[in-house]
Amino acid sequence: MKRFAQKIIFDKSGVAVRNWSLQEGSKMSAEDVMSGGPGKAFMLCNEAIVRGALEADVKLYAAYPGSPTTEILDTFVEVGKAMDVRVEVSTNEKVALETAAGAAMAGLRSMTSMKSVGMNVAADSFFSLGYTGVKGGMVIVMADDPYAHSSQSEQDGRFFGQASYIPMLEPSDPQEAKEMVKHGFSISEKFGVPVLIRTVTRVNHQSGIVELEELKRTPFKKVPWPHEPTRFITVADRARAFKKQMLERTRLLGEEFEMSALNRIDLSGGSRKAEGTGLITSSAGYNYAVEACRMLDLSVPILKLGTTFPLPVRLISDFIRPLKRVVIVEELAPYLERNVMAFAKEVNPTIQIVGKGSGHFSEALEYNTSIVATAMARALGLKTPVDFQAILERAAKLKDGLPPRPPTFCPGCPHRGTIYALRKALKGVKHVQPTDIGCYSMAPLEPLKYGDSLLSMGASLGVAEGMQHCVEEPVVAMIGDSTFLHAGIPGLINAIHQKANFKLVILDNAVTAMTGQQHNPASPHEDGDGGQQRIVLEDLLKGLGVKDTTIIDPYDIKNTPGIIKEALSRPGLGVIISRRDCALFGDRNKRRQGIPIVPNRIDKATCKRIYACIGDFFCPAISLDADRQAHISADICDGCMKCAKLCPISAIQSTQKTGGGKA
Amino acid sequence: MIGDFGLMMSAVGGQGLVLLSNIIGTAGAAAGIRVITGEQHGLSQRHGSIQVHLRIGRDVRSPLIPVGMADALMSLEALEALRYIEYLKDGGVAIINTRVIHPVTETGEIVKDKGRKYMSLEDVEGRFRNLTLHILKLNALELAERAGNALTENIAMLGAVSVLEMFPVPPGDLEDAIRRLVPKKALDANIRAFKLGAVAARDNFCKDLACRPAPG
Repeated sequence: MKRFAQKIIFDKSGVAVRNWSLQEGSKMSAEDVMSGGPGKAFMLCNEAIVRGALEADVKLYAAYPGSPTTEILDTFVEVGKAMDVRVEVSTNEKVALETAAGAAMAGLRSMTSMKSVGMNVAADSFFSLGYTGVKGGMVIVMADDPYAHSSQSEQDGRFFGQASYIPMLEPSDPQEAKEMVKHGFSISEKFGVPVLIRTVTRVNHQSGIVELEELKRTPFKKVPWPHEPTRFITVADRARAFKKQMLERTRLLGEEFEMSALNRIDLSGGSRKAEGTGLITSSAGYNYAVEACRMLDLSVPILKLGTTFPLPVRLISDFIRPLKRVVIVEELAPYLERNVMAFAKEVNPTIQIVGKGSGHFSEALEYNTSIVATAMARALGLKTPVDFQAILERAAKLKDGLPPRPPTFCPGCPHRGTIYALRKALKGVKHVQPTDIGCYSMAPLEPLKYGDSLLSMGASLGVAEGMQHCVEEPVVAMIGDSTFLHAGIPGLINAIHQKANFKLVILDNAVTAMTGQQHNPASPHEDGDGGQQRIVLEDLLKGLGVKDTTIIDPYDIKNTPGIIKEALSRPGLGVIISRRDCALFGDRNKRRQGIPIVPNRIDKATCKRIYACIGDFFCPAISLDADRQAHISADICDGCMKCAKLCPISAIQSTQKTGGGKA
Repeated sequence: MIGDFGLMMSAVGGQGLVLLSNIIGTAGAAAGIRVITGEQHGLSQRHGSIQVHLRIGRDVRSPLIPVGMADALMSLEALEALRYIEYLKDGGVAIINTRVIHPVTETGEIVKDKGRKYMSLEDVEGRFRNLTLHILKLNALELAERAGNALTENIAMLGAVSVLEMFPVPPGDLEDAIRRLVPKKALDANIRAFKLGAVAARDNFCKDLACRPAPG
């Protein structure tokens, strides 16, 4: 019983519940997504997005995982076969977009999804698609991350819609997201252009009750290619011709959106009139704006925009024409605000615009009802019913001494072993450590504080190349398997070609771990749908011309520092592959095979409070007991034995050996 | 004023919080009660602090509970209850698992500083007393083990929430949702944990707080 209990703590977590891609059996939510309808279901917005695509009879979906869109991919992986959708976990967002574009050029409905910064990778082809357009409906979901919950920046992707002339829709909740995906396919086919659905974290990761319409799937069928020469060729003359068409298309889309039901004017339900005041908002901002009005008991018109490129100019102009004051509620950049300002110049030059320019709202972080209510109260000379600032100040006092709990490597995580060994091998050697995007991005944070630069997927390679020309210290770069395949290979090719002199550590944990252990091209592919070919990293490196590759096991924590030290001492570009399954992925495989996960224990009589198992190691399973001796929580321990190898007096043993349960 | 009921839920990544939110939402859908949640997915699941905002009411729009407006706060770990204390309204209900999972950073500090002690359940409870007297401490692990599966800790906590009269989702619908959403092989233990959580809450709670009538 205990053995069963200790590890599956993860199994019941959100990770596992959501993580269908590698789970056996079908989960309830996936059943709802596939249900025949009509009906109602409680769904995560990302599931509702998949449901919308299925109701629109989507034929192909391709994506690379990235929070907050990952559950769209996981859900598609789960339902793909049953729904006869071609589903691909792509190498990166650009490849995913191009795969979907290929289907849509042929005339089939296709979809891709990506996080905000994924669009930066896809953008090269995205802009060209604005020119060429598509034949079959194509929907691109792009999720921004205000507050940078799980991203390197708070970039505002709405400018991608504007800059690419690709129409953009913004939902506020799961129901709307589902409807907009369906509607997006229709608009896409009507105007021959992909449709961008722009969401934010608080929309993607919102669950609510969604109305399911009838699901009518048709079988996947290949279609003949239309054979219209230069139809999808954009260069020189063709590009110039496309530009003209694109401008006309955008004008027509603008006309369409003037009349669209996706834009509407609500009257907030309060009893207090605020003469001459109106609100313009979209996306998550709408949710907070509606509640802020209710909180302030205000009765004001709210223009809720669902189509944010092209903007419905006449609708907005008519809305602001009679107003004295307009409040713009939008997170991040003043995108709506600047546009409203431009329209106001024509129709109402003296209107007061309450927004970021006026200092009422910030361009930083995400909003909530209290932030919006406080800003509106200030603009309108009102008081919020509750003093939010006082509540936050009191809470800050009550939380004095509360230890932070930053995300950390899981028990059994191979990265903990790799980073420990790397630091040990380099002890006393000053070096520079460009790192990359993945679970190991946590290493530069407390408590390890290891890492010197972090830009974007694959950037560690280019950065390392530049650094090694310019810094005195040796350079040791770090990248995960999935990130290396996603965007690291061109940087490595450049480094080889330039005869760079740095070391690269590839953390190969078999999966794209951080987003939920999706498979990637280097994964053992029985975990995908079984039809893929595995890319073998050392073969790839050899083919590229890497002459010095060393493979280590991060669990072999005693010997790896020496091996690493030796590898680092050799001149020229060298690669160290640190190979061991992601602990969550490995445990799942073990459970599937009926292999028990046996925790370790610390022998109190032996432990001399050396803390070798704690210092620089920081496993969540290890804490101190009342005697200040190290203690292993059996229900958290993964039994990886790394800590046991670190203890110089062998105080840590597997409970299998000692026969005990909890210490 | 804003929504009928707000429940702030928190935990350490991996304790099964999103499952709870799915159970409550699914039960709400069955009972015709509008539930929306603001969830946290992503890198913070790795032993970091996580929270789910759960809101019930015809007119709620924001998935986030405004600070000071949660009717109840339920945490699967004691320190994580304190981390979100600003959400609980004065006089609100705090349902706190007695389990303390020490953050690695705190252990690191304690190794360095001999005089320092871990923050304890008693510390957390003391802080909550500044806000409310309705504090229910529940040894959910013990209840879960009694139910036959140590992993049903989260469901035991849900059982405790279910007895509150102010919590609008009927216990029967919650039980049905548990049947739908937990793994089949662990179903009986989950149902037992749910009931044990409810009984424990009744024994400690219902003297000075309105509770639903006990079944049967």
